[in-house]
Amino acid sequence: MTANRDTPTRAAAPNDVQQRRVAVSRSAAATLEGVNAQHIQVKDYSFFYGPTQVLFDLTMDFPERHVTALIGPSGCGKSTLLRNINRMNDLIDGISHQGDIQIDGSSIYDPYLEVISLRKRIGMVFQKSNPFPKSIYENIVYSLRVAGRNKKSELDETVETSLKAAALWDEVKDRLQESAFSLSGGQMQRLCIARAIANRPEILLMDEPCSALDPIATGKIEDLIHDLKKEYTIIIVTHNMQQAARVSDKTAFLYMGQLIEYDETEKIFMKPSEAQTEAYVSGRFG
Amino acid sequence: MEGTEGWVDISVNGTPSKPLPERFVVAPATLWFDRFMNHFIKVGGLSIIVAVSLIFFFILLQILPLFRGARVQEYGSLPVPPGDYVLMGTDEWSELPFLLDTAGSLHFVDTVEPDGPHDRGHFVRAPAFLEEVEAAVVRYNEYQARLAYGTVDGRFAIVDVKYRPTFPDRGGREVLVNLEETPLLSIGREGVALDMIAYGDSGARKLAAAVQQVDGRYELHVVSLAQRRTLLGPGELRVDQAYDLTDYLDGEPAHVVIPSDADALLIAMQDGRVRYLHYDGRVFTERQVFQPFADLANSRIASMDFLLGDVSIVMTSVSGENRMYSIYRDPDKDMRIWGHTKTFASMDHAAAFYSAGMRNKSFLIGSGRFASLRYATTKQIRWEDELPFDIRLALLGPRYDRLLFLDAEDTLHFYDLRDPHPQAGWKTYFAKIQYEGQAEASYAWQSTGGRDDFERKLSLVPLIIGTLKGTFYAMFFALPIALMAALYTSQFLKPEIKRFVKPTMEIMASLPSVVLGFLAALWLAPIVSNAVPSVILAVVGVTVSAYTFGYVWGHLPPHIRLRLKPGYEFIVFVPVMCLAAYACWTLGPVMERTFFLVTDPSTGLQVADFRLWFPTVTGLGFEQRNAFVVGFVMGFAVIPIIFTISEDALSNVPDAFRSGSLALGASRWQTAVNIVLPTASAGIFSAIMIGLGRAVGETMIVVMATGNTPVTELNPFTGMRTLSANIAVELPEAPYLGTLYRTLFLGAFVLFLMTFIVNTVAEILRQHLREKYRAVE
Ligand SMILES: Nc1ncnc2c1ncn2[C@@H]1O[C@H](COP(=O)(O)OP(=O)(O)OP(=O)(O)O)[C@@H](O)[C@H]1O
Ligand SMILES: [Mg+2]
Repeated sequence: MTANRDTPTRAAAPNDVQQRRVAVSRSAAATLEGVNAQHIQVKDYSFFYGPTQVLFDLTMDFPERHVTALIGPSGCGKSTLLRNINRMNDLIDGISHQGDIQIDGSSIYDPYLEVISLRKRIGMVFQKSNPFPKSIYENIVYSLRVAGRNKKSELDETVETSLKAAALWDEVKDRLQESAFSLSGGQMQRLCIARAIANRPEILLMDEPCSALDPIATGKIEDLIHDLKKEYTIIIVTHNMQQAARVSDKTAFLYMGQLIEYDETEKIFMKPSEAQTEAYVSGRFG
Repeated sequence: MEGTEGWVDISVNGTPSKPLPERFVVAPATLWFDRFMNHFIKVGGLSIIVAVSLIFFFILLQILPLFRGARVQEYGSLPVPPGDYVLMGTDEWSELPFLLDTAGSLHFVDTVEPDGPHDRGHFVRAPAFLEEVEAAVVRYNEYQARLAYGTVDGRFAIVDVKYRPTFPDRGGREVLVNLEETPLLSIGREGVALDMIAYGDSGARKLAAAVQQVDGRYELHVVSLAQRRTLLGPGELRVDQAYDLTDYLDGEPAHVVIPSDADALLIAMQDGRVRYLHYDGRVFTERQVFQPFADLANSRIASMDFLLGDVSIVMTSVSGENRMYSIYRDPDKDMRIWGHTKTFASMDHAAAFYSAGMRNKSFLIGSGRFASLRYATTKQIRWEDELPFDIRLALLGPRYDRLLFLDAEDTLHFYDLRDPHPQAGWKTYFAKIQYEGQAEASYAWQSTGGRDDFERKLSLVPLIIGTLKGTFYAMFFALPIALMAALYTSQFLKPEIKRFVKPTMEIMASLPSVVLGFLAALWLAPIVSNAVPSVILAVVGVTVSAYTFGYVWGHLPPHIRLRLKPGYEFIVFVPVMCLAAYACWTLGPVMERTFFLVTDPSTGLQVADFRLWFPTVTGLGFEQRNAFVVGFVMGFAVIPIIFTISEDALSNVPDAFRSGSLALGASRWQTAVNIVLPTASAGIFSAIMIGLGRAVGETMIVVMATGNTPVTELNPFTGMRTLSANIAVELPEAPYLGTLYRTLFLGAFVLFLMTFIVNTVAEILRQHLREKYRAVE
C-alpha cells in the first residue's frame, strides 16, 4: 500500500521462488512416487480457547515425507493448529474442540491413546527457541533419557547424528558440556531442531524455525529441512513467503482460523485460485 | 532559561543549543518526583542497613564485657599498729576489716573514717574467755564470719563476728560490730594445747576437730555439739559425743578441715595423703584416701582450703602446683567421693595466703609479692600481678569488689576489684566443663539454683544443639510435605483448584505461633504420647500408600485412568490417603501389643506401652512434650512459608521449558523433576532457607510444647531448649546487665550468627543456582 511494497528485494522474490521451485519439485516428484499415504488427517476440526473459536472446520491432509507449509497472517491460528497435532494445547485451561485429527488413521483424541507416546512420535520446534537450562549434550539426549535409554554409546551417537543433521555439529562439537544458553539465537534454534529429531520421531512440527535468524542460518535450516524430508513428515509454519516456496511441497493458507486454500506449493504461489491467497502471497496484505 | 514556558534550554559547553520542541520536554513534576523517589528509596534502604547494624552493635556492646578480664586498682592504704597478725576478716562492704593477732585479739580498722570523731580509727576487741585462758590456735571461716579458738588447755570456743550495718541520722552507713562467743568446751586431752582446730556447723549438726600433741604423738579428737532448743530460745551448747580418731593418723597431720555441712572430716598428712572420713551423725567411716600430688617429687600439701559451697578443696603443693578436688557421686561405687577436677596454672611457690570468694567460685591465692585471682569453674586467671610489697595477709572482699592486702610493713592496702562477669569466657560457653558434683565434664545449662553457693552452668552448647534439634525435626516434617505440595500444586493440580488451595495455605502461615504452641502442648502432645506407634505407623503408612497409589495408578489401563482428567487424580487419591491414615491409626495399638512389650517392674506383668518400652530398650528418655511433637507443629508453622515461596518459584518456570519437555515425550512427573525443579531450584532454595530461618528463630511453640530441658541429645522423644526459647524463658529472671543477662544476649548473638552464616551460604549457593538455571530472555 506504500512505496515500501515495491522495494527491489520484494521484486526479486518471484525469480528466487522459481529458481528454487524447480529443485523442489524434482525431489518431491521422486519421493511422491513411492509414498502417497496421508499421514495426518484433519477432519472438520474446530478449536476453541474458552468461548473463542480459533479454528473453523478445518479439513486437510498432510502427506507422508512431505513438507507442508502453513502460511497466513499473524493470529490466524497456525500455531494453534500445529500445537493441537501433538496435543500441546492440553496444557491450556478451558480448551475444547470439535471434529478430529488422525495420525495413520487413528484419532489423537482416542481415550486409549497415551499422550506421551503420541508426543514421542512427533517432534516439535517451537516458535520461540526453548533450550533447557542444561548442557548442549543433555538437551539433545533429553528425549532418550526420559524414555529410560541411558546407554552412553547410544547417547553419544545420537548427539552426533542429531547435531550433524541440524548442521550444528561443527560449531559445538568441542563444547558439548557447556550450557545451551551459551549458544547464539540461531544456534539455539538449530539445537532445538536437533533435540526434536534426537528420538527419531515420524513427524516434525516446526513453528517459524527461522524467525530471528540471519540469512545464512536460515539457509542452513532450509537445507536441513530438505534433508529431513526424506524421513519425516514435516509441517512448517512460516511468515517468509520465499521460504515457504523454497522448502515446502504443499502449502496451506489460513486466514482467521479458516482454511482458504491448500494445494501444491507451486500452485499456491503461481496460480492461486483464491483472491485472498494471491493477495497474501504477493505481499499485498497480511 | 528565557523563552517560552516549559521550554528547557540545554547548553553544551556554554553554547546555547536550539530550544527543544515542547513534545520532547519532560514535565518538571515527573523529573522532580523521579529524583525525590530516588533519594527517598536510597534513604529508606540506608536506614534499614543502619538499623540492622545498630542492632548488631547493640548486641555486641552487651556481650563484649563478658570477655573482659578483671580490673584491679589500688585506691588507698592505711597504716595499722604493728602486730603479729595471723589472719584477716572483714564485713560485707570491706569497711571495717579486722586483723587477728597471735593472742587472739581482733584489731578493727575503720577504713571509712580512720580519724573519725567516734574514736574508732582502730579499736581492739577480744572474746571474754581470753582473760581466763590463752588461745593456742584460731581458725576463721570467712563465709560465716566465724572464729574457732583452740586454747592452750585443751578447750575450744566459737566466736561469731557479728557485723551490723546501721544508718545513723547524719547519713551514710556505719558498720558496728560485736562478738558472740560460746562457752569454752573441752575437746581431746584435757590440759593439752590444741595444735589445729576445725569446725563445721550446718545448723542442725555441729562438729569440731582438734589435733593435739601428746608426748610427741599426734592425736585427733572430734566432738559433736548439741544445743537443746528451749522455749526461751537456743539453749546451752554442750558436747554431745566425743570421738577419738587418732587411729586414722599415721604420722603428723598437715591439715584438718570440716565442711560446713559437718558431715565429713578431711585429714591431710605430711606425706600428702588425704583421708576422707564420712560422718553420718553417729560414726565416722573412712571412705577414701587420695593423694592429690602423688605425681610430684614432693607430694606434701602446702595449703588446703574450701571453695565457696564447701564441696571443693583448693590445694597447693610445696612447689606451687594448684589443683582442685571436688566431691561427686561416683557412678561405679555409688558413693560420694573426692576426685581431681581442675588443675590451675602453677605458681612459683606454695600458697602463703588463700581467700575464697563468697559470691562465686573465685579465690585469691599467692605468696610473697605475687597474688592471683582465679575462677574455679573455668580455671581462668581473672587477674594476677606482682605487687610492690610483700604480702602478709590477703582477703577477697565478700562482695567480690575489694582485695585487701596487709604488707610486711604493717600497712593495709585496699584494691578496687571490677570484675562483673568472672565466670564468663569462651570455655564457659562453648567448652565441656566438669562442674561441682559431676563425675565428668559436660555441656550444661542451669542458670539458677536454690542456694547462694550454687555453681552456675552457662554452656550454650545444649541450647545450640536444642536449636538444631528443633530445626531438624521441624524441617523433617515440613520439607517433604511443603515441597511435594508445592510441586503438586504448581505442576499437577488444575488451576481452578489451585486458586483456592494457595490462599488457604497462606492463611495457615498467619496462624499465631502461640496458638500452634498451645495446641501442641495441650492437645497434640497428650494424643501423640498415648499413641506413638499409631503416629509412626501413620507417617510411614501414608507415605507408602501414596507411592503405592501412584504406582498402581500409573499402571492402570488408560481407559480407566483417563476417566479422570489429568489434574483431578486427587479425587481418588485423597480418600485412599485418608483410608491409609485411618488404618494405620487403628493398627497402632495392635502393633504396640505385638512389639512394644515391657515387663512392669512392680507387678511383673507384661504391658504394651511404647512410653515405657522406648526408655527400657534404648536407654533414652521419653517425655510427653518432645521434639517429635514440636517438630510436627513447628513444621506446620514452616510449611506455609516454604510452600508459598517454592510454589511461586515453580509456577514461574517459563512455560516454554515445560512445553519443550512434554513435547519431547516426557511425562508430567519427568518434566517436573528434570526440568521444572532444577530451574526453580534457586527459588526453592530461598524458600527452604526462609523456612529454616523461621524454624531456627521460632520461640513460642518451643517454649510451650517442650519441657525446655537443655539436653544435648537428638532423641526425638525428649524435649529441648532452643536459644530463642532460652531468651524468652530466662530474660525475666536475669538481673539487668548481669552475667546471665549478657549471656542471653550472647545466645541471641549466636542465633544471629547461625542464621547469618546459613543465609550467607544459602545466598551464595542460590546465586550459583540462579546463574546455572538462568532462563534466556
Ligand atoms: N492460550 C491462548 N488462550 C487464548 N487465546 C489464544 C491462546 N493462544 C492463542 N490464542 C489466540 O488464538 C489465535 C490464534 O493464535 P495463534 O498463536 O495460533 O496464531 P498464529 O497464527 O500462530 O500467529 P503468529 O503468526 O503471530 O504466531 C489468536 O487470536 C490468539 O489471540
Ligand atoms: Mg504462531
